[in-house]
Amino acid sequence: MSALAEILFGGLFQGSLYAMMAVGLALVWTTIGVFNFSHGVFMMLGAYIAWQLVELGLPAMIAFPIAVVVMAGVGWILQASVVRPLIGRPNIVLVVVITTLAAGSLIENGALTIWGPRSKQIPALIAGNTTIGGVGVSLHQIAIIVITPLILAALWMFLNRTRLGLALRAVAQNEDASHLVGLNVTALYGLAFAIAASLAGLAGIFMGGYRFMSPVMGSDPLLKALIVVVFGGISSISGPIFAAYLIGFFEAACSYYFGLYWTPALLFGVLILTLMVRPEGIFASRSRGLA
Amino acid sequence: MNPILSVEGVTAGYGRVTVLHDISLEAGRFGNVGLFGPNGHGKTTLLRAISGLLQPKSGRILFDGQDIVGHSARAIVGAGLIHVPQGNRLFPDLSIADCMALGAYSPRARPHEAENREKVVRLFPKLAERWRQRVRTLSGGERQMVSIGTALMSHPRLLILDEPTLGLAPKIKDELCASVMDISRGGVPLIVVEQDIEFLLELTQQLYLVNHGAVATEIKPGESLDHGEIMSMYFGH
Ligand SMILES: Nc1ncnc2c1ncn2[C@@H]1O[C@H](COP(=O)(O)OP(=O)(O)OP(=O)(O)O)[C@@H](O)[C@H]1O
Ligand SMILES: [Mg+2]
Repeated sequence: MSALAEILFGGLFQGSLYAMMAVGLALVWTTIGVFNFSHGVFMMLGAYIAWQLVELGLPAMIAFPIAVVVMAGVGWILQASVVRPLIGRPNIVLVVVITTLAAGSLIENGALTIWGPRSKQIPALIAGNTTIGGVGVSLHQIAIIVITPLILAALWMFLNRTRLGLALRAVAQNEDASHLVGLNVTALYGLAFAIAASLAGLAGIFMGGYRFMSPVMGSDPLLKALIVVVFGGISSISGPIFAAYLIGFFEAACSYYFGLYWTPALLFGVLILTLMVRPEGIFASRSRGLA
Repeated sequence: MNPILSVEGVTAGYGRVTVLHDISLEAGRFGNVGLFGPNGHGKTTLLRAISGLLQPKSGRILFDGQDIVGHSARAIVGAGLIHVPQGNRLFPDLSIADCMALGAYSPRARPHEAENREKVVRLFPKLAERWRQRVRTLSGGERQMVSIGTALMSHPRLLILDEPTLGLAPKIKDELCASVMDISRGGVPLIVVEQDIEFLLELTQQLYLVNHGAVATEIKPGESLDHGEIMSMYFGH
């Protein structure tokens, strides 16, 4: 019983964090067709901005939303400065990998300069602990498990039930046709980056609430998000969401039965097998498009 | 009548390649305009320049008297100049309903959305049956209907069609021709690029032969031509 509870809980928790990160990566890929390698840095920056605002004396519940909104602006600016000018170039995918990596390392070093290397922590969403099914868990983690699906559902509703969301899905599929119905394609690109950066920032706030933060805290989650996105299929946002939870449960089960040490190796083994059988990812259809 | 669109000495191309050489033409003075000519001589390029997808290197494009060179495609759509591109890929994973909603995206078209949707459904009843179906699963003819329907949702003041009958069976072509004629009769002037001369002769009153990125011949109403003469223009004298 407690084994099941532990795996279930661990899976839901890790899956939530992975999903929050991966969905932004997928959103940018599906709309603009580039991989944003500063996505992990967005996560870090969101956490540090939240920390700074709390330090300045703002209550967490005000500081966190502000940090998320600021991250939207950061995402927009990054898109306008290192992605938009390159659109239409050949090799755009590779070039943007490099420009976003470069921008990311600049921001990372900036954070190091401003905030220093000393680890920091931000307040938990909800302080305190409880036990469920014999497993001790923090209320912060429970909050993440509950909030994440709500946010992902809201994103899904936005993409599928609003005209602006429809426009984002359209840009993903055909840029010329989007121009010809009068969509503001550059603004939609900015919007995709802004949403992705906000979600990454929120993931950073989640993480900073239970683990020590450092300027490089985003690099491992970026790697995980890339794995999730490749595993789930980069052609939609629902694929990576399912994949995020699947991988979360897989990791939780592995580390329960085989220990933390073996988990990455097993995960990569499964990833490689999956890609050999279904190179487009397990939940992917063959086309690019948000759904 | 003043021309609704006049292209004045436009030169345009891709990178260092110039495709349009100082091309000039007018539309809307004598009814609908047809463009024809050999493959690869710049018809699509001209339409892309008109709708703001491609920046001309020089020249003016007047829509309703206003120079639209340098305006964004969005602004041009907003002014009511609607371009249905060639070889329609459209939005493969969106439904017909989604496409229609996108057609009505511009603030100018939004207030007419319901009325235009009714128009589209009346014109293409087939689309109503497949309203929630993804575009990628539609037949070529149906996809062309969606393209034109989407354009109608944009409340066009001038409608530009690039090879609407490309790859369609003769029967579907005739149906499409009738539908486009309906649109024209509803008061929307047309510019149509077509390889099918019969289709053009049916729909348009004024023809331009585009050759090597310039107008080789203009055929005004009254100067009626038969099929043979046009064919000889196509293949050189
Ligand atoms: N995106 C592009 N980049 C570079 N060259 C292009 C591009 N699109 C078209 N061209 C070139 O411009 C020339 C004119 O092409 P365009 O599509 O305008 O011809 P067209 O008259 O519409 O032909 P068709 O009847 O086959 O549609 C061609 O030589 C074509 O190869
Ligand atoms: Mg063409």
